[in-house]
Amino acid sequence: MTTLRLRGGRIVDPANGVDGEMRDLCVRDGRIVELPAQAPVDEEFDATGCVVMAGGIDMHTHIGGGKMNLARLLLPEDHRSGRDPVAPSTNPLELASCGNCAPGTLATGYRYVEMGYTAAFEPAMAASNARHTHMEMGDIPILDHGAYVMLGNDELFLRMLAERQDHERIRDYVGWTINATKAMGVKVVNPGGISAFKFNQRQLDVDGEHAHWRITPREVLHTLASTLTDLGLPHPLHIHASNLGVAGNIESTLATIAALEGLPAHLTHVQFHSYGTEGPRRFSSAALQLAEAVNANPNVSIDVGQIMFGQTVTASGDTMRQHANADHASPRKWIGADIECDAGCGVVPFRYREQSYVNALQWAIGLELFLLVDDPWRVVLTTDHPNGAPFTSYPHLIRLLMDKSFRDEQLAKLHPEVAAHAALREIKREFTLQEIAVLTRAAPARLLGLHDRGRLGVGAAADIAVYRDDVNPEAMFSRPDYVFKDGTLVAEAGRIVATPVGGTHFVEPAYDRSIETLLQRYGERHLSVNPRHAAIGRDELCRCCGGGRLLPAACFQPANTA
Amino acid sequence: MDLTRDRLSASKPASGVPPWTCPFCSLLCDGFRVEGSASLQLQGSDCPRARQGLSHFRAEPAPATPRVSGEAADLDTAITTATQWLRRSRLPLFGGLATDVAGARALYRLAAQVGAISDHAHGHALTHGLRAQQDRGMFYTTLAEVRNRADLIVCLGTSPAENYAEFFWRCGVSEDLVPQRHIAFVDAFLDPALQGLPRVTSEAIAAQGDLFETIAVLSALVAQRQVRVAAPALAALAERLRAASYAVIVWEAARLPQHGSLLVEAVQQLVGTLNRHTRAASFSLGGSDGAYTANQVVTWLSGLPLRTHASPAGLEHDPLRFDAQQLLADGAVDSLLWVSSFGPELAPPGTTLPQVILGHPDMVVPEGDVVFIPVSTPGIGSSGHLFRVDGGVVLPLTPVREDGLPSVAMVVARIAQQLAGKAQT
Repeated sequence: MTTLRLRGGRIVDPANGVDGEMRDLCVRDGRIVELPAQAPVDEEFDATGCVVMAGGIDMHTHIGGGKMNLARLLLPEDHRSGRDPVAPSTNPLELASCGNCAPGTLATGYRYVEMGYTAAFEPAMAASNARHTHMEMGDIPILDHGAYVMLGNDELFLRMLAERQDHERIRDYVGWTINATKAMGVKVVNPGGISAFKFNQRQLDVDGEHAHWRITPREVLHTLASTLTDLGLPHPLHIHASNLGVAGNIESTLATIAALEGLPAHLTHVQFHSYGTEGPRRFSSAALQLAEAVNANPNVSIDVGQIMFGQTVTASGDTMRQHANADHASPRKWIGADIECDAGCGVVPFRYREQSYVNALQWAIGLELFLLVDDPWRVVLTTDHPNGAPFTSYPHLIRLLMDKSFRDEQLAKLHPEVAAHAALREIKREFTLQEIAVLTRAAPARLLGLHDRGRLGVGAAADIAVYRDDVNPEAMFSRPDYVFKDGTLVAEAGRIVATPVGGTHFVEPAYDRSIETLLQRYGERHLSVNPRHAAIGRDELCRCCGGGRLLPAACFQPANTA
Repeated sequence: MDLTRDRLSASKPASGVPPWTCPFCSLLCDGFRVEGSASLQLQGSDCPRARQGLSHFRAEPAPATPRVSGEAADLDTAITTATQWLRRSRLPLFGGLATDVAGARALYRLAAQVGAISDHAHGHALTHGLRAQQDRGMFYTTLAEVRNRADLIVCLGTSPAENYAEFFWRCGVSEDLVPQRHIAFVDAFLDPALQGLPRVTSEAIAAQGDLFETIAVLSALVAQRQVRVAAPALAALAERLRAASYAVIVWEAARLPQHGSLLVEAVQQLVGTLNRHTRAASFSLGGSDGAYTANQVVTWLSGLPLRTHASPAGLEHDPLRFDAQQLLADGAVDSLLWVSSFGPELAPPGTTLPQVILGHPDMVVPEGDVVFIPVSTPGIGSSGHLFRVDGGVVLPLTPVREDGLPSVAMVVARIAQQLAGKAQT
């Protein structure tokens, strides 16, 4: 039994309604406990002058799996410093690993933990790539992790939808897939569009028709969203909407929300989906429209996908849109793939430039979205790493959100038309520490159904970040004094001091196993893997994930069987 | 006749027994069985590569002993000696790397610890694709997509079945998933097994000049640029490519000539041109003996692919300079750790340097300063995972029978522990 006490910190724990209370925080065996003030502990840490928060949770970050390894392969220059190697860490606990926008998994873990994050979720796991994805995540040190499996472009789902098969059959197939891939949720990417691209279709609106299956994205969205509700998944459908990056795509995004008909869902990287067509350049901010829709639809949560200026790489399952974007690649090269009749992949390097009108407006749109949505519990802080920017830019983003004058300074450096006219200029809101804690830990934990993470109440897992108070939030959130993972000190003043293996979050919804007969028949005819190899068992998951803890999350009791 | 499905059902194992995944080439076929009381016999396929691979194993594994400089030694002694040699080495080379995911994971950690250069036994072939990818990128497809979509398969400079006997069956060439397929062999032998199959036509097309010129002409024709001299067969193929719904260009890394990466780039350019108006993708054959596996694992852990040196100045990647054969020939390294767990054939290149070999028990062990540790073969003597030919699909390997030998991962982890000064476990 080990105990520790953080003495004299200012606790910011919105999940428990605690906002800046000065008190000690105690831990026993990896859990937060209440101990008498004078009770002896094994170790004590001075947290005076510090803000104590739960460990950060990134619920949408491309940290592992096929497309990120392709990004690494595509960009050796991201792993050099000019002509020289990137200088290695002086910390013997850190094994050699580098990269800025496409870091190795080892570096990914080190850099996240240094900022006070303790969990990260890969949002785009292809079912056929699940073993690989879990292996990469298992090689991210320290962080807990999980992944959302992509559905809605797999030919079997589209076929079942086209054949008007029973909703229950589709539900069982979705339930089976989540179990088989050991996923934490389900993501749909450009509903039907990735498949349509394989049939040479280049565009698909929410009410457009798939060239082969003759179904619409609206049907895909509604079916998947209701299926997940039936299965009792804690995280609702995670949606990368149609027409990513296209001027005027706000119409698709609003139609996507309408297609849900009140069902819960999470719209991801909405910055890339909030574009209008006003103005002389036919490209404008539709952040206000989207924020109003989010404010009016309590069933919807969002993450932003903020962009930052500089070099990055965009890695997406959306082959249709990435093929269209490939001509803008910088440097001029890209990787695309059609994958196993269930997914696609497009990796396009990109440099966001301050003097580009479009990029400057994208930057402003992201911030407008953060600042215009009223309820912080339905907004998650992301850059859609690495698509908008590497996750290491979070402290800078936090400063932009907390400091209006800093924001104005940055805006003034951008393309003059954006600097002069962006709606962002008029927004005075500055986030409080409490709101930042909601956006970066409490809200993602709630949206994922993690009942003992993202909070500091008694019984919660002792994932804790201790930030030294600073007038500059960027400095403050870059390098916490202490980071604890399940009660183990893992980073101290920006230096990794322990590298435990992280755990895997997943869900195992109930479904009718008779669906396996259909899957076997379909797999033998159409797919390329023995159907009996399709599912990952718990023992195999453990081997894939490097022996980390398995963290199954509970499902809701499905409403119709309660 | 529905060839593939008949073959699959003929070899279906009894329920409850996990399917066997063949580890002997990167197709990782998992529809066949292995049986036998003395030798191991393949059931359901006559793949020569699998048969050859299996011929190196007996149904009852024979005991195998580590050796240190020719003398039998116990495992602890062999590991301790290997550790001492690696500790003394100023620039070790990790070669072969024929292992599974777990082995590759352990090897990278050790390479980072001792500052080694890592290259795979098939590093030369691997580099053709890698360099093209780094310079221009690519667009590729996977087996299930080829099965369900490809109406035109162009095999460029390769007759795939010669090295990958099951390739066309895995692609479902004669199945009714696609009404009619055409298979063109450019500068390669027409595969006789395709003759007379329903729904398949095939042709052989001679190269125009060499393969570089051929692909250049084909690309220009597909892009409808002026070409002064074009062989009629190539012109017809260009028309087929433009008319196809989903064309797949197949190439084989090990068959590419010098500067093969330029050919790979040309293939990608051709695919890119086609994708502006119709659909197409490339498919590369390679990555056997754990080559893709090692490359994937090292890339995700470090950020950089094979042919990388974990140097004191940081990770240095150079696909030309860190060629294992060349480094040995130049005397640029001072020790060799060679890993070859799938069979005895993949032996280390000749060298007089101190060598630590983790190999198949029947490997011919060179004389001199050699620590030889016989290791288990994933998929025969122990479980494991390998990456398939098309990138993202990872298959679990199930042992035919346990062989009691240590895995590469276990031996490498123990060396790493000893180097770090931790107690043996």
